[in-house]
Amino acid sequence: MKFKLQFKDKEYEIEISETEQGETKIKVNKKEFIFEGEKPKEKSLSSVKSFPKKDFSEKAITAPISGVISEIFVKERAQVKKGEKLILLSAMKMENEIVSDYDGKIKEILVKKNQKVKSGETLLIIK
Amino acid sequence: MKLLRYKIIDSTNFLAKKIAKESREKAWTIVFAEQQKTGYGKDKRNWYSPRGGLYFSVVLPRTGIEDLQTLTILTAFIIAKVIKENFNLEPLIKLPNDIYIGKKKVAGVLTETIVSSNVKSSIIGIGINTNIKDFPKDLKNIATSLEIVLDKKVDNEKILKQIIEGLKQQEGLKQQKGLKQQLKIINE
Repeated sequence: MKFKLQFKDKEYEIEISETEQGETKIKVNKKEFIFEGEKPKEKSLSSVKSFPKKDFSEKAITAPISGVISEIFVKERAQVKKGEKLILLSAMKMENEIVSDYDGKIKEILVKKNQKVKSGETLLIIK
Repeated sequence: MKLLRYKIIDSTNFLAKKIAKESREKAWTIVFAEQQKTGYGKDKRNWYSPRGGLYFSVVLPRTGIEDLQTLTILTAFIIAKVIKENFNLEPLIKLPNDIYIGKKKVAGVLTETIVSSNVKSSIIGIGINTNIKDFPKDLKNIATSLEIVLDKKVDNEKILKQIIEGLKQQEGLKQQKGLKQQLKIINE
């Protein structure tokens, strides 16, 4: 079974098949992973040098729709609470007040007032 | 559907937003005012709201942000259709959502949402210059009213009812048809 998977901006070609020995073979782009039962064979895993690191304590606030940043209500390093308004995003004549889904500290603001943004674009990061 | 009627209010959008935040059960609550003290449009620009005009905001049911954008555009079509059919006028829609008669603005729509990972609440506000005899100097060249154009008063309540009916129809249609078909129906 072959299929393509898009994750963030990168596309991965994935092929799942069975080896002659009855093991499951998963090919991601050109890397092969062979699974026997539930555990992957160490040999195949050893060829993977590192996995991308992700800080799960960081939460990205993204644009729900394409538009223009009309107002930024918070500053970097400010503490925010769940439900607190962060950014006003105007799309057509729809004004969207983007509120925080989390309690935390504003780690980084990636946009400026009057900047055009696309749907899904990260606006700020809360930690 | 609940109609909240006010002689005078700060802004119908402002109150509708407050109501929308309170509970999901408030969908289709309509805030209607005879006059607004601080009516506003896009970017909090002042919307001239003396007695005589039609000002109302509707708390919308919970839906996706793209649907709200579609609804905002469709609302302009609904208003234009109501004006055209009742008064035999040829209103122009300046997309996304201003309605003109000739070169002057007669109505405007402003949707406001509160959103995080999903839409928490949304409202749509409508202002129509209906029974306004005159405009201040700075608006005279850019705004008009149905009373000025028709040289007679119009029935605000009838217009309100027809627009709400149009909005409610959209909710039903949304389940079955795409945007193009909806626009076709509105234009028929």
